[in-house]
Amino acid sequence: MKKYWAIFKTQVINSLAYPTEIMWRSMAILIFLWVFTFLWRVAFDNSSTTILAGLTLHDTLWYLMLAETIELSRPRFANTIAQSVKDGSIAYLLCKPYDFLLYQLSVNAGDTVFRLILTFIFGSALIWRMVGAPPDIWGWPLTLIAFSFGWLINFCLTALIGLAAFVVEEVTPFTWIYQKLIFILGGMMIPIDFYPPWLQNISKALPFSYVMYGPARLFVSPDLERFATLLAGQLAWVAVLGVLVSVAYRRGLRRLAINGG
Amino acid sequence: MEGKKNSVRRELKFLFAIWKANLQSAMEYRVAFISQILGMMLNNAFYFLFWVIFFERFKEVRGWGLQDMFLVFGITATSFGVTAFLFGNAFSLSEVIAQGRLDYYLSMPRPVLLHAVSARSIPSGMGDLIYGLTSYLLSGYFSWSGLGRFAVGVTLASVTFASFLIIVHSLTFWLGNASALARLLMNAILTFALYPITLFNGPAKFLLFTIVPAALMGSVPASLARDLTWQNLGGLSLGAAILLGLAMVVFRLGLRRYESGSAIQIEV
Repeated sequence: MKKYWAIFKTQVINSLAYPTEIMWRSMAILIFLWVFTFLWRVAFDNSSTTILAGLTLHDTLWYLMLAETIELSRPRFANTIAQSVKDGSIAYLLCKPYDFLLYQLSVNAGDTVFRLILTFIFGSALIWRMVGAPPDIWGWPLTLIAFSFGWLINFCLTALIGLAAFVVEEVTPFTWIYQKLIFILGGMMIPIDFYPPWLQNISKALPFSYVMYGPARLFVSPDLERFATLLAGQLAWVAVLGVLVSVAYRRGLRRLAINGG
Repeated sequence: MEGKKNSVRRELKFLFAIWKANLQSAMEYRVAFISQILGMMLNNAFYFLFWVIFFERFKEVRGWGLQDMFLVFGITATSFGVTAFLFGNAFSLSEVIAQGRLDYYLSMPRPVLLHAVSARSIPSGMGDLIYGLTSYLLSGYFSWSGLGRFAVGVTLASVTFASFLIIVHSLTFWLGNASALARLLMNAILTFALYPITLFNGPAKFLLFTIVPAALMGSVPASLARDLTWQNLGGLSLGAAILLGLAMVVFRLGLRRYESGSAIQIEV
């Protein structure tokens, strides 16, 4: 584990090499949240009640803040894996004394840290100014745990897309569609509570909501029962997807053919 | 006058030759090309589900309904697609500048900016274009005369968008590699263009007509596609012309500051 910790730390330091770039990227959250604030204010104004689907305007905007933070800080390495498979550079990683998937995990975890912190700070500052203080602080550690397992689910799904390069020529369209599944079925653009019941059931049964909706909803309504249910679902998905990634990787390696280089 | 006409004709001929070469190059990898088109259409359709769900619950937002969103999405996706497919390098102009790859275009007897932005095509842009047209057809605002207005709106919105990209990427001449900032501003114009303009008021609205001209890429061309008003057409044309002029001036001024280590090479 020591070597993966070293890779993680190196990547954290690397991500700080271009502070301006990481700052501009993190600031993207301000645009999205600013638009959401206009939209949801009007939506709540049009309704005759202050609570919609169990959420107030304050809850909805803090929910969207966390969901956007998760979206903007989640690693997007499917194309990196796909490229290394296509151009054969994966061979250089395979002959190193570490596991390829754990290496990717450490690198992407290291990449996430500062992006997550900065995005959270920018997003919180804006939403705090718009609708007031954040939800109860005692729920934050629970949210952080839920976020971590959601991050692992996202890692497995992204790795599966990247590993698809062993079979298909182009994986970029899969990354676009995956992102939109996270947007809609994951509840990034609109809390799943606002969906019609049939769509809520579908969304909650799929892994995307465990990446996004679960942690964000826990953030605005922290309670132990919700946390336990969420964690159980996340652990189940991590187990299933972890096995799938491992199988896909081993099968992919069998198909790999590198000529020269 | 005749000389000027000939020069325009020559540049247009050159532009069509580049587009043809770009298309042939994309078609070389047919499966990847088609999968990117289909993937992008599906991607847009999933994104649009947000509005379907939203309006299912809230019915309207200050006078805007789902039909209007189909129309504004149609205009924005089509103009994004046109820009990406025909002027794909406008999306990565800052990298071209920062890496000294402008040398290649500077060494050619052709307009540098036009050549640089049209030298690359983004194949998925075709998917946006087809999706945008479909969205317009489904909006309920389709008519044959409306289609003509839609085409005019898309053309002016594409000029606006491409000019905006050129301006923000040209900041690289002054700031060093400004690709992250350019991406942020591109996200801003696209995000704001895809929301009902009636949401915004006061300073926010002013911003969307000036600094981040998202209104000229979404709601104004959409209302032109709905009904022809000379005010809309005039305003949109004027806005697109000003932005295009500004883009050319900013790029030209930036070019004076351009330095590189003589990286003349083949651009592929």
